[in-house]
Amino acid sequence: MSLAIKIAWSLLNVLVAIAYGLVTYGVVRKTMARIQGRIGPPIYQPFIDLGKVIFLRTATSHGVMFFLGPIFRFVGGVGLFLVLPVIVGVPALENFSFNGDLLLAMYFMFFGSLGMALGAAEGGHPHSPIGIGRGLSQMTSFELPFGLAVVALISVGGSFSVTEIVQRQQELGGVLGWNLFQQPFAAAAAFLALLGMNMYPPFNIVGAPQEIPVGPPTEYNAVFQSLMMSGRSIFAIAKTVMFMDLFLGGATSIPEAFLKTFCIYMWTVFVGAVFPRFRTEQSIRFFLGWPTLAGVVAVLLPLF
Amino acid sequence: MSNKPDLLHGVPEIPAGSVPHANGCDQSCFLGERPDPLSYKEAIQTVKNWFRANSLWVIAYGTGCGSIELRPLGTARFDMERFGIAMRPTPRQSNVLIISGYLSIKSLKRVIRVYEQMPSPKWVVGLGSCTINGGMYWDSYATMKVLDLYLPVDVYIAGCMPRPEALIGGFKELMRMIKNGETKGYIDYIERLDWYRENQKQIIKDWDLPDYSW
Amino acid sequence: MQTTLQALKNQFTVQWEKQQRADLHQVGLPREQTLAALTWLKEHTPFVQLTHMSVVDWIEEDQFQITYLLMNPRSYDLLMVCTRIARSGATMESVHKLWPQAVTYEQEMNEMFGVEFPGSPRQGESFILEGWEDIPPMRRDFDTVQFVLDHIPDRPGRLSINTREFIGRKVGEKRLLHD
Ligand code: SF4
Repeated sequence: MSLAIKIAWSLLNVLVAIAYGLVTYGVVRKTMARIQGRIGPPIYQPFIDLGKVIFLRTATSHGVMFFLGPIFRFVGGVGLFLVLPVIVGVPALENFSFNGDLLLAMYFMFFGSLGMALGAAEGGHPHSPIGIGRGLSQMTSFELPFGLAVVALISVGGSFSVTEIVQRQQELGGVLGWNLFQQPFAAAAAFLALLGMNMYPPFNIVGAPQEIPVGPPTEYNAVFQSLMMSGRSIFAIAKTVMFMDLFLGGATSIPEAFLKTFCIYMWTVFVGAVFPRFRTEQSIRFFLGWPTLAGVVAVLLPLF
Repeated sequence: MSNKPDLLHGVPEIPAGSVPHANGCDQSCFLGERPDPLSYKEAIQTVKNWFRANSLWVIAYGTGCGSIELRPLGTARFDMERFGIAMRPTPRQSNVLIISGYLSIKSLKRVIRVYEQMPSPKWVVGLGSCTINGGMYWDSYATMKVLDLYLPVDVYIAGCMPRPEALIGGFKELMRMIKNGETKGYIDYIERLDWYRENQKQIIKDWDLPDYSW
Repeated sequence: MQTTLQALKNQFTVQWEKQQRADLHQVGLPREQTLAALTWLKEHTPFVQLTHMSVVDWIEEDQFQITYLLMNPRSYDLLMVCTRIARSGATMESVHKLWPQAVTYEQEMNEMFGVEFPGSPRQGESFILEGWEDIPPMRRDFDTVQFVLDHIPDRPGRLSINTREFIGRKVGEKRLLHD
């Protein structure tokens, strides 16, 4: 497959992922509304919001870094998505995965938030740095169990390549070949860390709207906000694709991919719908407790 | 429809050559020319207005007792989210400013700042009789009495205090106006800024706001 | 409650005393003894919490009455300590050393009544009224309606009805209907 066609396919994948992320967000809002006994917005509401935000005029300027913040976030999401194979074996859906892409993916997961932090700090709103501080400290603490889980996968599989990890699971065959069952401790650590990554209720102190008006994105509007909305949706989808590849044995067909990513995403939503919010130090304590222990066990277990 | 002549209002005259229809629409609705197809620019504007009307973001800022009635709108009974209305905590991301009742002169200063920081197009909803003519607080030394002297109001919702149903009615009216492109308040504010400033300075004695809060 | 009251009477000159409710007593003290009495109440009796502070304008007697509402946080008994000060050039000792929350009350009383509390921080800073130029608005010689008519623009066409007459008429109509 020539490079040009590959790029075209990847672009298409990115667009589909953004749309899918927005639909998922709509479903989430609807689900939350139904859980609370409301009717809820239509499922296509995020598209309307996105359109409205794009059509806004903005007059704010806080310097170059302020503009770059949302772009970094968007690039972080797209980059993470582009190094992950959605369906292994179908070249059109493999994106730009290569040997050692897992390291790059881990890097991209931090990249967006760091860029966002730099940009939001330039916005000058006093609440933004508070949100950033909370966000970064929470992120550091959930990276630990997640990193341990990935190390466990790498040491067992003997490869840094997501593609090989997926192939290994598929060779083992069946549902029981998934890393979810092959390495339950690593899976537990990673899925608990996912709760923090998706920032649904127990861990949504970062953007607490009532005390620090939505935290980092306080000053962003119009096009910046639309970039952030699409960046967030592709980031969410990229993360679920990564979890599908690492723990649920990848996917062999497109419907399977949709089903698996949707289930992974909804896991965080359902947890979020019934839990109140943790304070920052509570969530740090949570992540450094059982999830980290599970991660350590997952790393040490193959040695015995 | 009853066949009795309406004595109070008289019988409407039927113009010659047209057959009245139940909806008040005559033959030309069916036989006459179609309305002109929308020009390209108007079509774009219609699409934009549709997006705007269906995604109203309200800044969560309450000034008077009327803001108590805003809270039930988010709950299961009234549920404003089904119209795409959401609360945003920051003026940068909101389009609708609700002045919920009496507005003290101290808050008026803050409200002006908030209003000017919102990205246009933006709309103002005056809630309760206090915003219309002072209401119950007409003889208070600390509140303003006529909101549209200080901010361009698009929709007034009367009542003291208005029920959440009335609020939803006001929102639907605002949505209809946005879809028809009837809301020009934010343009008016820029065009007649001097007039608004004069009124604002008349009751804000220690004026220390910038020329315009970007 | 009774022991505290008795001790208070022994130590200070209580000018008058009144029981409003079972758990609410009111005592009047001369102005010079008020601060000492409040200090003594806080240090030696269970009435340690300052719940409220307010001013009443007795314009006919040319006096302000300052009221301190103290609470016993164990039994929820309330003790109101009242004192009268002269209305012209009204000053009063600040109690912010005893209860830090009194600063805000004193700031507000200074703004709304013009009572001075020398030594209290934030005296003279605006609390609710920003850029106020008239006499303090809560004084009874301040004519609110005239101020509003003079300063705050109105929307013409506002109707005023005599509430007593209007409601009386409505009630009368209803009575007629029911009879
Ligand atoms: S209109 Fe009535 S309910 Fe609303 S702020 Fe005024 S007094 Fe309160």
